[in-house]
This record gives sequence, C-alpha cells and structure tokens, in this order.
Amino acid sequence: MTEASVIETSAPAEGVTETLNREAVERAAAQEPTWLAERRAHAWDVYERTPLPSTKLEEWRYTDVRRLLDLDALTPAPRPEAGTGEALLEGLDGLPAGLRAVMAEDREAAGHVAIVDGCVRHVDLSDELARQGIVLTSLARAVQLHPELLEEHLATHAVPPEEGKFQALNAALWADGVFLYVPAGASLDLPVRVSRWLSGGGLAVFSRTLIVAEAGARVSFVDEIVSDDLDAQSLESSVVEVIARDGAQVQYVSLQRLGHRAFYQAAQRTLAGRDATLDTLNVSLGASVARVDLNARLLGPGANSDMLGLYFGDGDQHFDHNTSQDHEAPNAHSDLLYKGALDGHAHAVFRGIIRVHEGAQGTDAYQTNRNLILSEHARADSLPNLEIEADDVRCSHGATVGQLDQETLFYLMSRGIPQQPAERLVVMGFLGEVLSRLPLGGVVDKVTRAIEVKLRHG
Amino acid sequence: MSQSPILKISGLTARVADEDIEILKGVDLELGEGEIHAIMGPNGSGKSTLAKVIAGHPGYEATGGQVLFRGEDVLEMEPDERSQAGIFLAFQYPVEIPGVSIANFLRTALEARLDGDEELDLFDFQDLLLERMEMLDMDPSFAERPVNDGFSGGEKKRNEILQMAVLQPLLAVMDETDSGLDIDALRVVANGVNTLRKEHPEMTVLLITHYQRLLNYIRPDYVHVMVDGRIVRSGGPEVALELEEQGYADWKDKEQEAAAV
Ligand SMILES: Nc1ncnc2c1ncn2[C@@H]1O[C@H](COP(=O)(O)OP(=O)(O)OP(=O)(O)O)[C@@H](O)[C@H]1O
Ligand SMILES: [Mg+2]
Repeated sequence: MTEASVIETSAPAEGVTETLNREAVERAAAQEPTWLAERRAHAWDVYERTPLPSTKLEEWRYTDVRRLLDLDALTPAPRPEAGTGEALLEGLDGLPAGLRAVMAEDREAAGHVAIVDGCVRHVDLSDELARQGIVLTSLARAVQLHPELLEEHLATHAVPPEEGKFQALNAALWADGVFLYVPAGASLDLPVRVSRWLSGGGLAVFSRTLIVAEAGARVSFVDEIVSDDLDAQSLESSVVEVIARDGAQVQYVSLQRLGHRAFYQAAQRTLAGRDATLDTLNVSLGASVARVDLNARLLGPGANSDMLGLYFGDGDQHFDHNTSQDHEAPNAHSDLLYKGALDGHAHAVFRGIIRVHEGAQGTDAYQTNRNLILSEHARADSLPNLEIEADDVRCSHGATVGQLDQETLFYLMSRGIPQQPAERLVVMGFLGEVLSRLPLGGVVDKVTRAIEVKLRHG
Repeated sequence: MSQSPILKISGLTARVADEDIEILKGVDLELGEGEIHAIMGPNGSGKSTLAKVIAGHPGYEATGGQVLFRGEDVLEMEPDERSQAGIFLAFQYPVEIPGVSIANFLRTALEARLDGDEELDLFDFQDLLLERMEMLDMDPSFAERPVNDGFSGGEKKRNEILQMAVLQPLLAVMDETDSGLDIDALRVVANGVNTLRKEHPEMTVLLITHYQRLLNYIRPDYVHVMVDGRIVRSGGPEVALELEEQGYADWKDKEQEAAAV
C-alpha cells in the first residue's frame, strides 16, 4: 500500500466487523418504533467514534481488550423471532438441559424469566402479583406494551451509550432482555429469578435489564448467567439499569457462572432516590474474562446502597471489577465490600472510587476490597480511591492483598483437618462474610455450592 | 513408669525453620499412659516450642533426637496425621478463623477422621457438641460463632478445651490454658478436663503452666522444669511448690555460671 492510498482511505472505525455493523443495527430497528430506531442509530454513531479501550486508559490499565477480545470472530446471536411479542411463552421443557438444571436448584420465586443467548424464552409471574400492576416481561414485548416507560428509562439516564464503547454497542444492538416494573407501594416477598444460558462459542450476545421500582415498592432480583465451557470465545454483554424511586427497596444480585472462553462484560447502574435502599451483590465465578462496571448513584437524601462483591478465580481467569459510589445528595450512605480469592494463574483487578459531590453533606461512604491469594502465580491489583467535594462527610477506603496465613492453616491441621480441606474452610470463611451480609433465600446456598465445586476441582 | 510410655522424647533438638536459632537443646521426657505431667519454666525457655514441635508446627524443625508417640516416630507425620493419631495441642495463642463457625470447624475435624464411606451423624454431633459446651459452661450460641473471632482471652481458652473435649485425644498438651482465665473459669475448665479423664482414664495430659493454681485443680503426677531448651529437673508435685517459693533464680544462676565457664 502506498502512502497516498493510506491518506485517502479513512480507516474503518474500531470494532466494526463483518457482522457488527450499521446494517445489523438497521435490521434490529426495522420493525421498531421510531424513538427506538433513532436511539439505536445514535448509539451506533457513538460506538463508531469511540475507540476500543486501551490499557493507556487508567480504567482499563489491567484489562487489555484488544488482546483479550476478538470481535472479528463473533456473530450476533439470532434475535427473537418476529411474533414472539405475542406468543412469548414456551414451556420449560423446551429449554436447554443446562438451563433447566440451574432453575431446578432454585427455591421459590415471585416469577421466572429464562433467557437463551439473550432472547427471552419463558416468563412467568403469579396472577396475584400481576393484578397488583407488577410487570415482568421481555424487553422486546415491553417495547410494544409499555413504550412510555421504556422511552423514559431505557439507555437514557441510567446507562446512556456515551458511557463507553461497550455501553454504546449494547445500546445499538441489544436483542432482548428483561423489564420489571413494580408500582408504588407494591411489594414482592419472594425474589424474581432470571436464568440465562449461553449456548456456544463464536456468539456476541447483547442483552439489557431494566428495573423500575416506584415509590415505596419492594423487590429483589436474582440474575444468574451460566454456560458450559465453550469451544471458542463468545461475548456476553449485559447492561443493567436499576431505578429505585423514593423509599423503594431493591436488591439486585448477579451470579456469573459462565464457562471457559466466555468474555463477560457488564455495565450496571443503580439510581437511588430519597430514602431508597438499593443494594447489589455481584458474584463472579466463571468466564475467562469478566469486566463488571458498577456505578451506584445516590440521588436522593437518605438513600442507601450496600454494594457487595465476591469473586473466586482459578486457571487463567481474569476479573476486573470497576465500581463507583456517587454521592450526589446529602445524608446518603453507601458501603461497599468486595472480597475475592485467587488460585492458579488467576488475576483480579478491583478499582473503586467514592465521589462525594458538592452539597452532599453528611455522606457516609465506605469501601473495602480484600483479596486472598492461594497460589504463587495468582495476582490481585486493588486500587481504591476517594474524591471529596463536600464537608462533614465520613468516608473510608481500604484494600488488602494477603496470602493464606500459615498459622491459621496449622491450627486447622492440628485438629486433624488435612491441608486441602483446611484451605477450603479458610476460603469459604473468608468469602462467606460477603454472603452473610445479604441473606437472600437460596442465593447463599447456591453460591456456597458453586464455590465448593470450584475449590474441589482446583 | 511400668508400661511403655505413650510419649517418649529423647535428645530432641529443634530450631526455627530455615534459621540458625536453636531453641530446644536436648529434651528428654517420658509420659506414661493416663499420667499428668506439668512443665514449668521461665519465659522464653522453649515450652511452647516443645509443644509445637510435638504437634508438627511447620515453623520449627527438629534437628536431632526423637519423638515417639505410642512407639511411632511422629516427626515424619503431618500435623493432621498427628491429630488423627490422638495428639491434641491447646494453643497458648488460639488462632481466629473469620467466617468459620465452631460447629462447622469441629464437624469438619470429625469428618476428617472417618473412612471414605462413613458419614457423620449430624444429630449425634449436635448432641455431643451441646453436651460438651454445657460441661464447659458455654452458651450454646457459641457453636455458630466464628472460631475465636472477637472472643475474649478467656473465651478463646475455653474454646480450646471444648475442641479437646469433642475430639477426645489420647494425649492433650495444654499450653498455658490457665493464663487469661478468671478464677471461676479456671475451675470450670479444670473440672472439664477432670471429667474427660474420668471418662477416658487412658488420656494423658501435659500441662504447661506458670502457676501452682492450675495444679491445685488438675493434680500432676510429675513436674518438670525447663530452662533454656532443656529439662533441668523432674520430680513430684512438690517441685511446683518449691518453684512457687524460690522462682527460677537458682537455675538461671547455674546457667550463667555454665555460660561463664
Ligand atoms: N519463630 C521464631 N523466630 C525467632 N525466635 C523464636 C521463634 N519462635 C520462638 N522463638 C524464641 O524461642 C524462645 C522460646 O520460645 P517459646 O515460645 O518456646 O518460650 P516459652 O517457654 O513458651 O515462653 P512463655 O513462658 O513466655 O510462653 C524465645 O526466646 C522465643 O523468642
Ligand atoms: Mg509459651
């Protein structure tokens, strides 16, 4: 190629491929209302002009997307078939066996959603809850049934495409997802359970979750994603928007148990209104690469967010948790605790920032990240941060990266417990602190079992 | 001692692993089955080190001599194997294990003792645990508390004896279990040990202590004095009373004389 021709050809935008391109966006938008089609087109514009994150960016310093993700090798998963908007429901029998096994482990629920490769295949919600005005449905169907709510909240004030390259890509190409709406004062005693399945390699899956809890509403939401080990890389991209209006109480739990070769990317944002409680738990156990961006915004006075995280990596797993606690109103409280154990050659990154904005007096904000290193090749980087622009605030942050304590191990072994079970006990105890803070029915058992399986195979 | 000793230590020398710090300088000690022995001695003389070497602490290295437990050389065994063979060490400084409840810890320890196809009866276990806690005057809620995490000094010591009572060892080495216990707690713990001995007369006890007080409750058959990594005197219970009167000055003087020669 001559120099002249290089100058003439404008380089194609980064991340535009044979299958991830404007035509794909237009196909997605073909049968959709104008507001949504325009929103997708705008998101694609943002995507094209945003470079792929490089390790020169502080927020991506330890996660080299260019090396870890091969977008050219991916094809978007098929979109929901036209018409599923009406006849959405499928019996559980038609679902993949792996997904059914995951659902069978669960305890009672207020409702279920089953998702395969980003498309909703099953939804159920008790009649009684439906009568109270609670809505649990696929996003594709919500576009038809609740356009005003979606137009207001979807990819607007929670996770707009301007947030970043992946956020833009997801907003342009999302195929389906979950919409949960809880009207003012309504209350769900049991969690809503979402079970997602990724069926194979070579796929790019774009899915969104939108949860709106009106004033005084109460709901918990358990979002689980699972797959077998894959024969080739797949991208699972998930955007989660959670809105808790004044006095609402919402718990969002994400359990990520994807198989080897999955690249998991999640962007979550929680918006907590006056005196609202909006707690999250992120459990990262699977995938080869998992990047989770969680931004908690405390928008109303007296808002409260507990942010819990738990990860356990082995083999060559790479986890990158990037969190922020934005205190934008006075007298709000946030408390973050992320704990992880790392074995094999696993690498975990935690980067967290507390931002106390001007006028957010009386803020209480805490941030703790603790890592337990189990092998000489495992590694953890922990980067806590504070940015305070108000007076009269109580903030603290702390990070530790420690090895398994030899004195502890000897104590356990001196009671007759062999080394490996002794190590398992210490790791479970270390991670268990996180689970004990969010005693949601079934979640603790499920995560405990999943960690035990990993510890045994490690 | 008529029959063959349950623990026979001869010429034991030991140092801090990978360092040139010799702590035990030739320990000889024999414990017969069902006997109670006490070791006393000044701070830093090597009593805890001896206890840890018996239990297999990886931070210490035996450089010479032998430790035979029921005729078997334990220096080659892992700490968990020694425990399963019947050796128990009540720690001078018990370790905190956040997030692991006492019940879970002890259940795991008992399960480790089972053969591959055996299963622990959880109801039996629960009964045993509660009974032992009652014996030691511990609130049942302790069973669900993380091991030693946030425990007071005395609670930690009591928890050591609880573990001993559940695991029922053949040889119990108690390293300063009395320090940190108030007078009432000391009596409760001592009664617990005596009850265990009544149940299992074959249980042998090695008490490490600084004070006669414990020995009023758990009466030793033999008292040994350890100074600078050696047993320098062995005798009956009267040795403890002498020490109470005279302290260790005599021994330290002799040591200095020896060093000066
Ligand atoms: N890991 C170690 N590194 C360096 N020195 C050590 C180590 N462990 C023990 N020592 C030293 O060995 C000596 C004996 O210690 P040990 O704990 O056995 O004494 P002790 O007789 O139990 O004392 P106390 O009555 O105070 O409990 C002390 O001088 C101590 O500082
Ligand atoms: Mg000592």
